[in-house]
Amino acid sequence: MTDDTKSALDAVDEGPLPSEAPGDATAAPGEDASDHASVAAIIAGFGDSVLRHRWAAGRQAVVWVTPDKCHDILAWLKDDDGQRYDMMSDVTAVDYGGGRPIEVVYQMFSTAHKHELRVRCPLPLDALEIESVCDLWKAADWLEREVFDLFGVTFTGHPDLRRILMPDDYAEGHPLRKDFPLRGRFSRAEQTLQALNQNVDRFYLTGDMDHGAPQEVAEAEVGLIEAESSDGEGE
Amino acid sequence: MGLSDVLPGAGPTKTTGGIFGSGSPTFLTSKVDAIINWGRLNSLWPMPFGTACCAIEMMASAASNYDLARFGMERMSFSPRQADVLICAGRVPYKLAPVLRRVWDQMPQPKWCISMGACASSGGVFDVYSMVQGIDTIVPVDVYIPGCPPRPEGLIYGLMMIQEKIRQESLTRHFEHRAEDPALVARPKAGPEELVGLTGPFGNSTQQERLSDGVAVKVESASTDDLLS
Repeated sequence: MTDDTKSALDAVDEGPLPSEAPGDATAAPGEDASDHASVAAIIAGFGDSVLRHRWAAGRQAVVWVTPDKCHDILAWLKDDDGQRYDMMSDVTAVDYGGGRPIEVVYQMFSTAHKHELRVRCPLPLDALEIESVCDLWKAADWLEREVFDLFGVTFTGHPDLRRILMPDDYAEGHPLRKDFPLRGRFSRAEQTLQALNQNVDRFYLTGDMDHGAPQEVAEAEVGLIEAESSDGEGE
Repeated sequence: MGLSDVLPGAGPTKTTGGIFGSGSPTFLTSKVDAIINWGRLNSLWPMPFGTACCAIEMMASAASNYDLARFGMERMSFSPRQADVLICAGRVPYKLAPVLRRVWDQMPQPKWCISMGACASSGGVFDVYSMVQGIDTIVPVDVYIPGCPPRPEGLIYGLMMIQEKIRQESLTRHFEHRAEDPALVARPKAGPEELVGLTGPFGNSTQQERLSDGVAVKVESASTDDLLS
């Protein structure tokens, strides 16, 4: 491994450059995004909650906001006539490693005004909790579950916050964290054993054959899952 | 060994009006093994378990250009109950491992398994937390097809190797060949030592440890008793 490669890997481990770190008010020259209409409006309305802002990747406006006001700002961005960000394209997160905050990223699009906006919200590792935006955008449901699954961020007020990609009883943690080992925490033997001990029946929606109303089907499946999990404990 | 050895009195019989003309035999003798194996190897019904790009090549194999039907495999069986050979085409994550195992357990004997491509055979480039490191840890594999993905010729060659394997089988040794321990149904196929052997860092450029940041971890491998209980 050459020195160049090594230093590049070290940089990954140390996280973003100081100028990119959240909370740093001194954005590089020419990166001030306050000429974006929505960014200017957020600064005017929620100035205390805006950590910083910048242009990224060409014409992509990014705003960093504090977690306590994040839901309020997003709700205002969705409902205000001048903004109308009615499409939540993506909810994801980034772990920069090195004990830095995990940033939750909201990528939004306004179909009315044809505006794009990215809102980022840094969460310190000891307080990985943020208010869910499922009440604003239905699209955020599974996206927030994914962030919860892979990063361990808790979304308060989420109607159904459980793992979505990894198995329900996955015990090794949250795989996209920087401190998560590439091959997982358990040995291959343990991983294989746990995988084969999964209850395959819960992969199938067994209630949809005989039941009529969707609500009944949903209730039947909830009952099924509870019954199976209690069975599993008994084994 | 002809039929006449098995069934007293059986054998070529002189009759009139046979297919080869007057006085020729109206039946031929053969080995039971040969007939049964001939029937089996020319009517293999594949159970396609396609999870990734290998499945595209598998579909191409079945399509008109390569035409698996030439070998009696035109009927892709999407139910394991009517399938003879499991073609696992693509990477298998741990979440899918019990499904693969159940599909295999549901297939009736005699059955064979093909591991198609690098990922199914060894995990391939996916030496990560979520991926089964070779489906032979989950189910018994008869033929491994290398490639990323293998070309349709590769899959057809692998299926013809299955045919060759069937051709060598004998009814007298059938149960020896196809024996399956009921206690191992829905259990890992690989032995504990084999599974533990997959744990070590091999060929991975990061050489990453499983321990990290003092998080309580469970590194000890499952004991032999756990794996076989």
